[in-house]
Amino acid sequence: MLLWLLAFVVVPSAILFVYSFCERDELGRVVFSFTWENYQRVFDPIYLRIFVRSIGYAALTTAICIVAGFPVAYFIGRAGEAWRNRLLLLVMVPFWTSFLIRTYAWITILKQEGLLNAVLQSLPFGLGPWDLLYTPTAVVIGLVYAYLPFMILPIYGSVEKLDGALIEAAHDLGAGPLRVFPAVILPLTLPGIAAGTLLVFVPAIAMFAITDLMGGARVPLIGNVIQNQFLQARDWPFGAALGVVFMALFAATYWALLRFRAREDSIG
Amino acid sequence: MSYSTQLRFVAGALLALAAPVAARAAGDLNLFGWSEYVPQTVIDGFTKATGIKVNFETYSSNEELISKLVAGGGRYDLVQPSDYAAEVMIRQKLLAPLDKTKLANLKNLSADFTGRPHDPAGAFTVPYMAGSVGIVVNTEKVKVPVTSYREVFQAQFQNRIVVLNDNREIVSWALKSLGLPINTITADSLAKARPVVANWVKLVKVFDSDSPKTALLNGDVDLGIVWSGEAAILWNQHKKFRYVIPAEGAHQFIDVLAIPANAKNKAAAHQFINYILRPEVSKLISAAFPYTNPNAEARKLLRADELANPASYPKEGKLETFRDIGRMASDIDRLVTDLKSAK
Amino acid sequence: MSARVELRNVTKTFGTVDAVRDVSLEIAAGEFLTLLGPSGCGKTTLLRIIAGFEQPSSGSVWLGGVEVTHLPPYRRPVNQVFQSYALFPHLTVAENVGFGLRMQRVPAAEAAERVREALELVSLTGLDARSPDQLSGGQKQRVALARAIVCRPQVLLLDEPLSALDAKLRHAMQLELKRLQRQLGLTFVFVTHDQEEALTMSDRIAIVNRGRIEQLGTAHEIYHQPATPFAAAFVGEANLLEAELLELDALNAQVCVKGGLRLVLPATAWPEGAKTALVSIRPEKIHVARQPVVAANTFEARVEDEVFKGATDHLLLATAAGTRLSAVVANESALGEIFHAGDRVFCGLHADDLVVLRAE
Repeated sequence: MLLWLLAFVVVPSAILFVYSFCERDELGRVVFSFTWENYQRVFDPIYLRIFVRSIGYAALTTAICIVAGFPVAYFIGRAGEAWRNRLLLLVMVPFWTSFLIRTYAWITILKQEGLLNAVLQSLPFGLGPWDLLYTPTAVVIGLVYAYLPFMILPIYGSVEKLDGALIEAAHDLGAGPLRVFPAVILPLTLPGIAAGTLLVFVPAIAMFAITDLMGGARVPLIGNVIQNQFLQARDWPFGAALGVVFMALFAATYWALLRFRAREDSIG
Repeated sequence: MSYSTQLRFVAGALLALAAPVAARAAGDLNLFGWSEYVPQTVIDGFTKATGIKVNFETYSSNEELISKLVAGGGRYDLVQPSDYAAEVMIRQKLLAPLDKTKLANLKNLSADFTGRPHDPAGAFTVPYMAGSVGIVVNTEKVKVPVTSYREVFQAQFQNRIVVLNDNREIVSWALKSLGLPINTITADSLAKARPVVANWVKLVKVFDSDSPKTALLNGDVDLGIVWSGEAAILWNQHKKFRYVIPAEGAHQFIDVLAIPANAKNKAAAHQFINYILRPEVSKLISAAFPYTNPNAEARKLLRADELANPASYPKEGKLETFRDIGRMASDIDRLVTDLKSAK
Repeated sequence: MSARVELRNVTKTFGTVDAVRDVSLEIAAGEFLTLLGPSGCGKTTLLRIIAGFEQPSSGSVWLGGVEVTHLPPYRRPVNQVFQSYALFPHLTVAENVGFGLRMQRVPAAEAAERVREALELVSLTGLDARSPDQLSGGQKQRVALARAIVCRPQVLLLDEPLSALDAKLRHAMQLELKRLQRQLGLTFVFVTHDQEEALTMSDRIAIVNRGRIEQLGTAHEIYHQPATPFAAAFVGEANLLEAELLELDALNAQVCVKGGLRLVLPATAWPEGAKTALVSIRPEKIHVARQPVVAANTFEARVEDEVFKGATDHLLLATAAGTRLSAVVANESALGEIFHAGDRVFCGLHADDLVVLRAE
C-alpha cells in the first residue's frame, strides 16, 4: 500500500512540484533552474478568471448532480434487496463503454439536426430547433452526465445505511413527507453528499475533453489551459504550476470538508 | 462508508476500468502519427508485405508530438511531424539522417515538395502528404461569396463558424489579414493582431482541430477555416461545401515522415517509408484522406474526380509554410487563451 | 386526554401471507393493553396498523370514535416507542424529545418547557445536551419514551420496548412504565413476547397467535381460565390432557383423562354434546401431600422426578393408572414436607381447577 502510494501519488506529485519551479527551453524541455515566474503567471488575472469560471462550472455541475442524483440514490437505497443491485448496475453500465464514445453520443443528441431537435420539432407546438451543442449548456449537460454516477454512489451508501425506523419515527412524531426530508433524511445522508461533492467538484474543475467536444472549445476552463501547456504551448513548467495550485485547492477543499465533519461530530 | 473508504472504492473501480497497455515486441515498428491520417489498410498492407507488426499511436498536434518525443525516450521508430516541427527537430538533433539507398521509391516524389526550407537537402524527411488551411463554405446556407479571412469573420456569421482549435493558426490568419509576416512574430506584431483575434473569437461557435468537418456536416455551423483534407472530404460528400484559399494567402503544410535519432528499429522505419512511397500505396492514402499528394507517380493513378477536388488540388493561391517560432508559441497561447476566456 | 382504540374486522395480507386475520378489538381509554404472542404472530403488524405505518387490507381502525384507517401516521394522535428506540443520531437528547413539538410548530418557549417536564418525568434531567450514542441502553429507552409522551398522544404504542434491556433493568422499567401510564392516564398498547411482562403490567392481555386474537382478558382470566391450548401453554405452564366423557349428571361431569385417571369437573364446564375435550390443569393447583387430602378429586401417585427451584419444588407425578402430571409445590417452610423421587404421595384437585379448552 505504501509502495503503491509512493509510486502513483507521491512521486508524480513531487515531479510536478519540482517542474513548477523550472524553466523551459526552445523545444519545451524542462530546464532545472529555479524561478517563481510560473507562479507569477498563475496569478495573472487571465488565469485567475479562468480558475473562477472553472469553479463556477464545477459548482453548478455539483449542484445539479446533487439535485438529480439524490432522488435516484434514495430510490435505489430504499428499494428491495433484489432490485438494489440491478439498479446499481444500471448506474454503472455507462462505464462499460469509452467516455469519448458516450460524449459523441451526446453530440448526436444535441446537434442542430440531432435527436433532441428532431423530437422537439415533431411536437405539435412547433418548438425548436434549439441551439444546444457548443454552448455552455451543453458543457454543463456533459459534465453532469459524466459525473452523476460519482454523486449517486456515495449518496446511495448513506441512504442504504439510513435506518428505516428513523423515518417512521419522524412520521410518527408528526413530520409529513416534506418535513422528514430536511429534518431527518438530509442530515443523515450529508456524509454521502459531502463525499459525492468531493468526487464531482474536484474532477469537474479539471475536465477538458467535454469543453472541447461539447463546448466547441470556445470557453477555456482550467483543464484546457493545463492541457494546452503540455500539448500546444510546450510549457510544462507553467502547466505544472497550474497543476500544483489546483492540487492545493483540492487539498483545501478536502480539509474544509473534514473540518466541517469534525465540527458536526463534536456537536453530535 | 467513511470518506476514505469511499474514495478507495471509486479509485478501485476506476483502476479496474483502465485498459491494459498493449504489449510491444522487439521487431515491431512503433509508428507515432497524426490521428485520422494513416489508413489502416496501408498499415495492414505493410505488415502483410514485410511481416513487420506496426504499433500505431496517434497525436493531434505537433506540440504533442514534440512533447512526447522529448519526454518519451526511444519509444518511437517513425514520426510524422509537420514541416516547421521537423525543422526544429532537425536543429535539435532529434532526427536521424535517412539512408537514401534504402529508399528507392524517392524518385516518385514531385519536385514541388522536396528541397523546401525545413529540410533543404531532404536529408531527414520524406513528404507524406501536403495541404493547406483554407475557407470552406456551405453554399446552401451562405449565399454571399466568402474568399478572405475578413469575409469569414463578419458579424452576420456569428455562431456559424468553425475554426481549428489551434492558437498559432488563428494568430497567423490575423497576421496575414494585416499583411504582417507569419514566421517572424514580434511583441509588436502580436499587439497588432490582438484586437483582430479578439473580434474573431467572439464570432466562432466551434474550435475543433480533430474533426472540424463534423460541425459542418451536422449543420451546427455554415462556414469555417479548416484543413484542406477535411474540406476535400466534405466536398466528396456534398458539392455544396466549397473550399477556397484565402485571398490574403494561406498556411501550407507538408507533413513528412522522419526517424527519431534514438529509434530502435530504423531498418523497419526505412522499409515503411519506402512502402509508403509506392504509387499504388500512396494512392490509397489519397483515397482515404484527400490531401494534396506529393507523389507524382501516385497522382497519375488518381481518378479525374479526385484530381478535380478543389480542396485537394487548389487551382491558385499564395501558400506559405510555417517556420518554428520558439518561445513566441507561449505568448500566442497566452494571447488566445486570454481572448477566448474574455468572452 | 386518552382515547379508545377500535379495530374492526382488520385483515392484513403481505403477498400471500395473512399477517392479521379478521381481528376486532376494542381498547378502552386509559387502558393498558398488551398484545402477547410469539414472534411472527402478527402482534407487531397490529401495532403498525394502529400507528398508521401499515394500511389494513380490509377492515377499519378507529381512534376516539373517529375513523383513521386511511390517515397517514403523521396525522394520527398516536405516538410510538420503537423497539430499536429509533433515536435521531444527529440530534441531542433535548432535540430528540422536542422533535415532535417542532413538527407541530409548538412555540419554542413552550416546547422547551414541555421537553424539560418530559425529561424530568423519565428521570433524565441534565442529559439534554448529550448525543444518543453517549447514552446507555436504559437511558436511550427513557429518551424514546419521553419523545413519545411529550407530544401528548391519545394513545401510546410500545413495540417490545424493553427487549434490549437486561433483566434487572427490564423489571425496573416495567414498574416505571406502569406508574407512568397511571400518572398520565394514557391508553397504552404494548407489544411483547414476554408473558411475565404482560402479566405484570397489563390491565388486559390479548393473546395473539397466527394472526388472530385467541383470548382477550385480564391477567387473572388469561391465567386461570385459558381459552385455548395455545393460551394455556403460552402463559405459564399447564398439563394439557385429552379427556373422554364417562358420565354427565346435573352437577358433575366425570371424565377419564389420558393414561386412565378419572376426574370430575362441574357439568357446566363441559361443552354441550361433546364426547371428548382437552382439559388444562395448572401444576401448582395439584395439592400434593403425604397424608390423604380432601377434595373433589383425589388420587395417589408416585414421584418420578423432583427439581428443587428455591421458592418451589417441581414434581413429575405418575398415577397408578399411568397418567403423568407436572405439579408445583410451594416451599412454604424449611420444616415443610420434602418430596423425593420414588415417594408415594396423595394428591387433590378442585373440580373448578380443571379448565376445559376450546378446540382450535
